[in-house]
Amino acid sequence: MSQDAPRTQPSGNGGGEEPRIGVFICHCGGNISDVVDVKRVAEEISRIPGVVISTTHMFACSDPGQAMIEQKIKELNLNRVIVAACSPSLHELTFRRTLARAGLNQYLYEHTNIREQDSWVVNDKELATQKATRLIRAAVARVPHLAPLQKRVIPIHPSVLVIGGGIAGLTAASCLASRGIAVTLIESSPFLGGRMSRLAGLFPTGKQARDLLRPVMDAVINNPKVTIHTNAEMIQSTGFIGNFRTTVRLLPRGVEATVANVQAAIDACPEQTEDDFNFALTKRKAIYFPYDGCYPSHPAIDWKSCTKCGKCVEAVGAKGINLAEEPREIEIQSGVILIAVGLDLYQPRLGEYGFGQFREVISLAQLNRILDPKGPTGGKLVVNGRQVRSIGFMHCVGSMQQKGVHPPGPDGRMNDYCSRVCCTATLHAETELKTRYPNLQIYDFHEDIRTYGRWHEDYYSQASEQGVAFVRFNPLRPPQVERDPREEMPLLVRTIDRLTFGEELEVPLDVLVLATGLVARDMARLVDLFRCSVGPDRFLLEVHPKLRPVELAVFGLFLAGSVQGPMDTVESTAGAAAASAKAATLISQGSIELDPFIARIAEEVCSGCRICLTVCPYDAITRDDAKKVAVINEAVCTGCGTCVATCPCNAITQFGFTDDEVKSEILALLARVPAAATA
Amino acid sequence: MTETVATVQTPQMTPAVWEPRIIGFLCYWCSYTGADSAGTARMKYPANVDIIKVMCSGRIDPELIATAFASGADGVMVLGCHIGDCHYISGNHKTMVRMPLMRRILEDLGVEPERFRHEWVSAAEGEKFSKLVTEITEQVRELGPLNWPQLMRERGVGHGTDLRPWGE
Amino acid sequence: MGANVQGQTNGKLKIGMYWASSCGGCDISLLEIGPRILELIQIADVVLWPCVADFKYRDVADYPDGYMDVCFYNGGIRSSEQEEIARLLRQKCKTLIGYGACAVGGGIPALANFKSRAEIYDVVYHQNPTIDNRERVEPEPLHEVPQGELELPEFYPAVLRLKDVVPVDYEIPGCPPQADRVWESIQAVVSGAVPSRNAAVRVGCFDKTVCDECSREKKLVKIKAFRRHHQFRPEPDWCLLEQGILCMGPATRSGCGALCLKADVACEGCYGPPANAEDQGTCMVGALGALLDAPTEDRAREMVAEIADPTGTFYRFSLSSSFMKLAK
Repeated sequence: MSQDAPRTQPSGNGGGEEPRIGVFICHCGGNISDVVDVKRVAEEISRIPGVVISTTHMFACSDPGQAMIEQKIKELNLNRVIVAACSPSLHELTFRRTLARAGLNQYLYEHTNIREQDSWVVNDKELATQKATRLIRAAVARVPHLAPLQKRVIPIHPSVLVIGGGIAGLTAASCLASRGIAVTLIESSPFLGGRMSRLAGLFPTGKQARDLLRPVMDAVINNPKVTIHTNAEMIQSTGFIGNFRTTVRLLPRGVEATVANVQAAIDACPEQTEDDFNFALTKRKAIYFPYDGCYPSHPAIDWKSCTKCGKCVEAVGAKGINLAEEPREIEIQSGVILIAVGLDLYQPRLGEYGFGQFREVISLAQLNRILDPKGPTGGKLVVNGRQVRSIGFMHCVGSMQQKGVHPPGPDGRMNDYCSRVCCTATLHAETELKTRYPNLQIYDFHEDIRTYGRWHEDYYSQASEQGVAFVRFNPLRPPQVERDPREEMPLLVRTIDRLTFGEELEVPLDVLVLATGLVARDMARLVDLFRCSVGPDRFLLEVHPKLRPVELAVFGLFLAGSVQGPMDTVESTAGAAAASAKAATLISQGSIELDPFIARIAEEVCSGCRICLTVCPYDAITRDDAKKVAVINEAVCTGCGTCVATCPCNAITQFGFTDDEVKSEILALLARVPAAATA
Repeated sequence: MTETVATVQTPQMTPAVWEPRIIGFLCYWCSYTGADSAGTARMKYPANVDIIKVMCSGRIDPELIATAFASGADGVMVLGCHIGDCHYISGNHKTMVRMPLMRRILEDLGVEPERFRHEWVSAAEGEKFSKLVTEITEQVRELGPLNWPQLMRERGVGHGTDLRPWGE
Repeated sequence: MGANVQGQTNGKLKIGMYWASSCGGCDISLLEIGPRILELIQIADVVLWPCVADFKYRDVADYPDGYMDVCFYNGGIRSSEQEEIARLLRQKCKTLIGYGACAVGGGIPALANFKSRAEIYDVVYHQNPTIDNRERVEPEPLHEVPQGELELPEFYPAVLRLKDVVPVDYEIPGCPPQADRVWESIQAVVSGAVPSRNAAVRVGCFDKTVCDECSREKKLVKIKAFRRHHQFRPEPDWCLLEQGILCMGPATRSGCGALCLKADVACEGCYGPPANAEDQGTCMVGALGALLDAPTEDRAREMVAEIADPTGTFYRFSLSSSFMKLAK
């Protein structure tokens, strides 16, 4: 081979020693040895130069198995270890730890899969045995190239940024602060509490939402470790685990906490707008607070509807209200970030089940405001100023959508998933109504009832006992909602009922309540900033639903609550507690160890062509303009190796997956060279 | 020593015992795990595809494919996550461009298209993986050994000092 | 420039330059060192240079072994004569240098490796409108005539590099090597600053790629469509690859000073593969994976199909050192 510029890959054989390889072949209790003649394989491998020991074990991953390997490493002074067994996804880490216990660098290890990819899939025993030998030969050829890598140690700034001030964000902040960890909580609206503050009675306990919310809020507000910013807008976030820097713009509140005579200011305001808190059932002023007991307790100015007429300022004697307040930007440094921005409610299309077309069609969210004793009607069932004799509930509005039945949304996607909580929420509302208004006629139109949670089924039983009429429709032929031609009651719902084997029903109603589904918020900015994985349902995607349920793929980012998918308050708080526990664990360690399989650029051959800069999905590669070379941020690199294959002059290598390592495997598998163990 | 080498099948052996030797480059998160799931389900397929694991199909440098063919592989398979599902977000987008381009070069040199497969296999597609292995093995078996190093020697290349096949 | 055949010494170095399958450009390029040639002939005598003066193979064979201090050999090896002379020169010189893209990597002649000897003969000697060859005469190494046997060099099935047939001490890439690099190489070799014994050390080039020497700006945009030089006038000062011209700069060793780019012409890769690589084609394929603006598989395939001749484009000068070496 021509000796041009020296190869820049890290050379194996740390210390330049001769390889002393130990090969341990697992019987896997017969799973491997019933097909592969492991003893023969061991014998053949033992003849390869550099292999000091080649032996088998019944269960290599067991305690005695690991102990044997550990003992052999020490006794025979092995400097490379190969275990041929099941898939590395199961026990690669196990055996790395075995090496570490024996005092050998854990990355001088190779795991060969001769079970899932050999003994379990190859019928012919002879061929399976030969394949096992071949695969282990490849490992023997590879291991001399392995370098004694070290995990990356990244220090963690001991603080957490929590994005979102609803129940999930508050729970997380409270958990973290109670452990003494500094938290910055940012909320985009002027008030904390999120969607939970708009609920009254919660299922399954029946407790009042704001009563449950208040202690959590108090724990956060009163803890000196927590800094709260409302009216906060995310501008930018850079950095990496242990050291994130997030720029936030704080929009002016316009009203100071010291303001007196708040009600006078509100009364004086001439502007009115739809009250989002009551889902547009009522109006509010441009200077407002959503409910008694909110936090912060002093009002905020809604700049979209404020005309800056100044009447509120007059009303408080020019003290405490500043209409000219400017936004300001702050930078928040944090070791980890917790995303808890919640979700949105599905907004039915105009005409969907009569929504927007008929005043008598309202959403479940609006009904819940009506039922709230502190709500716009004082808890009385009054819709559009009329008494209600007959009320219907429509399930699955904006969920379980089907092609050909429901039109796709503006982005072309369907909400084909189940929003989970609406069935229970609907039944809960029905039982509430029946309890307060025993003579109220209630009809429940559903394609299915999914009361999946603990004690949720009780609401279904209770509703049945209380006389709610259940009607099951075919999801391919949803009910039609019309004006009642006979004008008995304003609405008429036509449907075919599967529970009565296809009877056609016409149901007159005063009010139809749509149980609207839950959808992901418009999080394009967030997704872009943090490179979040997004599921097909547009909610954020965790790394693994079982093994890493509250983490994003980018190190140091956590998910809490319904940003991950439709869920109720119980599940949101559980998720938030899990995320804060994970975050707290990281913080308390002070630093994090990441796998060393990252890429590195050899400056001496990098020509600064910049082709690698745009290739990294994590923006880990930047350019040093002074040296005219590319640079990889070792804390951000996740080890995909895409830049390695991209570099047109082979200036980038990936530790653990160098060209030499992979090529040695290729050559050994093809028996191009005898699998002699030389570097 | 030679005994050990002789137990491994090579194209130089007599035709009666030749077995296609195929290298599969699989990305760990999707296709390698998919291959594992074929094993967990005890699906059966030929033993001819030897798997080399990388973290992402984006790591698969065309140089590695070239090395495989030039070093004696009769076939090469490259598998990755489906587009949109890459564990590293967009690694497979690069593979998506590289593989057709590599195919053009290989075909210009006379490597039959059936010898080089590029597919997307998810972690749940054990059956697809096992079908692919069976397909490529049978197609390559029908085509016969690629015999790249053999060709080079037959053409009189290799009577000098820089005799080693490319890649060594 | 006298030939000191009978071992007369005058303290000067003996240098030679031989051309095999060559266009003559490399021979001319030695003159490109300009007035420095006057310095050269102060310290060296040329004892072999078929392009320029009349030397017989007999003369060379009669030289003592190791007689020449430095011998440059340019051109690819396509015939037995060229191999024979390569071996002869190896014997008769102390330092053998593969000069130019053909000797180093096969060069343009190596593109013929896509065709078999039979196919080449067919085009050259038969399927040719200006050939009248009813007897289907083809060159043969040995031919009987009444007066005896005639020998012709054998036409090899493939173009080889110099180091495919003899051990080489240095290689100077380029088509042709750029003058300043040639001069630096001569100095490095003659001074002993870069020792080599049969190690084919590459000199006359730097360790980076042409991108390092090119001053065009990058906008970090992806390629929307491929275009060729005759199809449009490229914007000056902007990277040609980003404009859709398949410039081999990123996968080509630096040393030429990006001369072609300065003339608004895309690099064709004549300095061969980068320092850390052996195969230019796979280097470019890897990089193009990141550069195409192809959001779907179909678009990716379309764009790849748009490239007129990827294999020829990527391996224009280095097919013999690629992973292929031979066609089927």
